[in-house]
Amino acid sequence: MRTFCFRKSSCVRVILSAAAAIMQIGILTLVPDAALAHGERNQEPFLRMRTAHFYDVKWSTNEIPVNGEIVVTGKFRLFPIWPVNLPLPEAAFLGNGTPGPVLARTESYINGVPAIQSTKLELNRDYEFKTVLKGRVPGHHHVHPMINVMGAGPLLGPGNWLTVTGNESDFKLPIKTLSGETIDNLETWGLGRVFFWHGLWVAIAIVWLVWWLRRPLLLPRFRALTEKGGDRSQLVTSTDRLFGAGLLVATILIVFFGFQATDTAYPRTVPLQGSRATVEPLPEVPEQVKVVVNKSNYDVPGRSLRMNVTLTNSGSTSAQLGEFLTSNQRFINHEVSQAMATVDPNYPKELLPPNGLKVSDSRPLKPGETKTVDIEAADAAWETERLSSLINDPDNTLGGLLFFYDEHGKRTISNVSGPMVPVFTDPDNRTAENPKGGPG
Amino acid sequence: MQGGTSVRLYGLEWLKESARISKVFDLLVAAILFLAVSGAFHLHYMLTAGDWDMWIDWKDRQWWVTLTPIMAITFPAALQYVFWTKFRLPIAATFAVVCLLFGQWINRYFGFHLWSYFPMSEVIPALLIPGALVLDVALLLTGNCLFTAMSGAFAFALLFYPANWFWLAPYRLPVEVMGQLVSVGDYISYAFTRTALPEYIRLIERGTLRTFGGHSAIIASFFSAFVSILMYLAWWHIGMLLARVVTTPNTLKNFMGLTDKDEPAETAQKAIDGTSLQGRFAAVE
Repeated sequence: MRTFCFRKSSCVRVILSAAAAIMQIGILTLVPDAALAHGERNQEPFLRMRTAHFYDVKWSTNEIPVNGEIVVTGKFRLFPIWPVNLPLPEAAFLGNGTPGPVLARTESYINGVPAIQSTKLELNRDYEFKTVLKGRVPGHHHVHPMINVMGAGPLLGPGNWLTVTGNESDFKLPIKTLSGETIDNLETWGLGRVFFWHGLWVAIAIVWLVWWLRRPLLLPRFRALTEKGGDRSQLVTSTDRLFGAGLLVATILIVFFGFQATDTAYPRTVPLQGSRATVEPLPEVPEQVKVVVNKSNYDVPGRSLRMNVTLTNSGSTSAQLGEFLTSNQRFINHEVSQAMATVDPNYPKELLPPNGLKVSDSRPLKPGETKTVDIEAADAAWETERLSSLINDPDNTLGGLLFFYDEHGKRTISNVSGPMVPVFTDPDNRTAENPKGGPG
Repeated sequence: MQGGTSVRLYGLEWLKESARISKVFDLLVAAILFLAVSGAFHLHYMLTAGDWDMWIDWKDRQWWVTLTPIMAITFPAALQYVFWTKFRLPIAATFAVVCLLFGQWINRYFGFHLWSYFPMSEVIPALLIPGALVLDVALLLTGNCLFTAMSGAFAFALLFYPANWFWLAPYRLPVEVMGQLVSVGDYISYAFTRTALPEYIRLIERGTLRTFGGHSAIIASFFSAFVSILMYLAWWHIGMLLARVVTTPNTLKNFMGLTDKDEPAETAQKAIDGTSLQGRFAAVE
């Protein structure tokens, strides 16, 4: 009876374990929304704040059919206060962050130079990019422009949701080779030859294996080798050796003549191309407004970044602070109409914090004028985008771009960077759990 | 003892029933071994030559040709020791690479094509079967691991590039993309993007092996062949070590004051006299 009980409980355990495993697989399969983006929020804030700042990013459309094209354009600046623990961008590649190759990339350029190869980029310089993508797998996909930097990893630009409609089997990516062949679809090109040669060699291998496996195998052979009376000559016969020698000759002949035949079929081939592209940055534009960070705090309970900065306008026109951009979050100063006008209606709403940027004195900075102002970027995005975890980073320095506009709407960009001091409590007794303050 | 009729297998007497059970045992072991080698060899191979074998734009004429045979000869060599010395079966290399190919195709089709949307043309595994057949036949004909290393392992690496050229050549046709010359393989991997595996990660003919004779693949093949000889011998001996049945004495029991009942009388006497640790425990009792 005890044995029976033990067995019963074991069965229950097995069934429960199996059910748990099925549930886990089910949860992973049925809740895909959370996994469709690319983990950009998991990148450390110092990485997102002080490497590549993407701006003016535009997606030509939000919905395309299979084989339809979307063009993603924009600019990026490599931040001059580059994190010391990351290698410099000696080799960088313009990528696109998508959940697998759901889109096919047909063209990409950095400053007009084809970006099929990697290139070296310079800090504190701006680059313009363009990527042409073709719809391939129907679905709702999160698409980012992206710069991969050797040793630093993927640096993601703003992500937007794109819908691909239609049927995946309709996808085609044709190309004509320089040697005259027409390729109807790169997805399936050459597969007939692959299947034939793989199949042929697997068949030959199976013949060889079956030749030996058809006979009594493990224990009889082991006994014959180890016990007195075992006839070793039957384990490997002269017929086996003859068959093996024949197979050896056949293998070498197939490889030799197959190689010759392939060379004849494809006389003009090229090796893989592994050079580096040379890309010059956009012409350097001197900073019109110099920004010195006197103090900066991140107010943990208020979810707010506050900076006290001194601005000096060294240009010949006035300058009005219109936007603070960091980690793809655009904090727009709602009092500056030129800044508001730059917001594309297609721009992802989650990257435009609704409270925007509060500036203690938004009046234009006159040429030659120096002014100290308080800037506040308050939004739950600091938490939801996991930027507040900057306080846990070994390099606790914030970084971003400030966009200034003159009276004609002309924009100039200044870098802003400085050490960040967290504020964990405040006089109103606000905490992360009780953000409104007052008695807890 | 039922049945009564016996058969002779390789010179030894077997009951028919025993021979039948032995056949069932063969099938069970073969099935388990097939899956185990598929998994273990695939894991080893992916960790050491994974990207080279995975992507169509990583299969260059230098690193792919050099690395793949060196990393792929490991399991065949270790298994050849076991298969040959214990069973006189010259099929280990072929068996191992067929297992590997099976694991790779399963992984590429279900994991990379169906699950992750990569086209099959981007993720074709390399063919190792011709080299493995030659390696097995070399062992069959020489019956000696050193001669097999010098001939079979050498050929294993040397045949690698020409045997793969059959299917690889269409992916090395030249195309013009954005005014640049690239191969079809380059363009396939450019078009069907790998988010976290950018272009600069690849090692395309970097190094000095290409400088002699102009065609990197030949130089790389010979270099790989020489290293494969050493790798083969090393893994043959790893197979030898792993095939040993080893027991270790339970030293912990001494600290518990336990002694073996069947230990020699001399040792037991020492214990009683208190000249050993366990003896001191025994004395306390």
